[in-house]
Amino acid sequence: MASESRMPESNPFVEIATHLFLEDIAAKVGIAGLNNYLLSLAKNLAGSMPKEEYTTWAEFLSALSTGQSILSTFEEVRPITEHCMSTFHSPFERGWREYAKRVGAFAPVHREVAQYYNHKVRPTAVTSVHIVLHTFREAAAARVHVGRDGVRYEPVAAAWVDGAVQLPEGPSLEALLKRAGISRTKLGMLMRNHSDVWLLEPA
Amino acid sequence: MIDVALASLIEDMIEKAGADGVVEFWQRVGDNLASRMGKEAYLGWTSFNVAVREARTAFSIEGEVTPLTDMAITDVDGDVVGYLYAMRQCCYVPTIFRTRFAVGRMSPADKAVTDEYNENVHNIAVCNFCVFHERFREEIAKNISVSGNSLACFLLATRGWSGETKISSKNVAQVNINEDHMRALLRNYECVYALVMRGARIKGER
Repeated sequence: MASESRMPESNPFVEIATHLFLEDIAAKVGIAGLNNYLLSLAKNLAGSMPKEEYTTWAEFLSALSTGQSILSTFEEVRPITEHCMSTFHSPFERGWREYAKRVGAFAPVHREVAQYYNHKVRPTAVTSVHIVLHTFREAAAARVHVGRDGVRYEPVAAAWVDGAVQLPEGPSLEALLKRAGISRTKLGMLMRNHSDVWLLEPA
Repeated sequence: MIDVALASLIEDMIEKAGADGVVEFWQRVGDNLASRMGKEAYLGWTSFNVAVREARTAFSIEGEVTPLTDMAITDVDGDVVGYLYAMRQCCYVPTIFRTRFAVGRMSPADKAVTDEYNENVHNIAVCNFCVFHERFREEIAKNISVSGNSLACFLLATRGWSGETKISSKNVAQVNINEDHMRALLRNYECVYALVMRGARIKGER
């Protein structure tokens, strides 16, 4: 999200209430059910946002870094290479800090559903909000066209506010880094002070 | 972004449980959050109002709350048993604008839940978040004591982002506040509520 964006900051209380809402859902439908809700709400959100088209990849990257793209609506995106993107702060950080300050420790269900997602979908979530973030970015990228191509999203690594990092292991990570055009060392440097590293490429 | 996604979630829940089901759901979430906030005790109204101003109370989770210390509520003996409190901005307004700029328009689910609450529970809501909010405040008030007395919360008036206002005749009468005072406050504030000592015999209670 660029500084000139008109998007105001959310009141963290609404985020706290939403987290409690999700905890209540989990108590009713279990971890698998919560995972489905999170996937569905992120897809619905992306689906309700306008589609985009750009003539060139450079124009798309410029829209991303100035907060004009659907993919940078909620977060500040900084391209590292042509296809590797980074996010400075998680859009959920303020909500989490307020939750920790006012309510207490994050309910375990948020980590449990992330573990379920890592096992069932892909190993890139530390907590429940990453399921929303990855699914939203994937669905939002599918609404963007650059020239005649669609855009495909893939997460490389995610770090949570407490420093926990989740990333794929072994050959799948190497393949992702190659497509992103960064080294393992560069990824380590980015994860020190960024919340997410991800990949965007023509589909 | 999860605040903007909440509207999608509510749309989904209306399909599964109906608007009345979402109202119940939101109220239960209000209960749950309040139960996790812990108890608080204050020596008197002065110390409580300072705590509110310094954002140290459970009510501060909502954002900036102003104690209207010129609007005391007194009991039949003339003792102060409560005050009015107000928020300049409704907690949900930033989310409404964020939805406007991200999606383009607010989901009709917001109005469906608001209407359901106004028709069947309490005609005071200007957005779906009021449903959660009113219950949350009522519950945390029970966990706060001033001079040894636990509190009760009465939501008195609200103003929505597009300017519509709601005044709760029932609650305004309960704390003996004139509706004209409420209208005057709504020019500056978007949410006004009263906190009074539970069981107090309020002067002029109607």
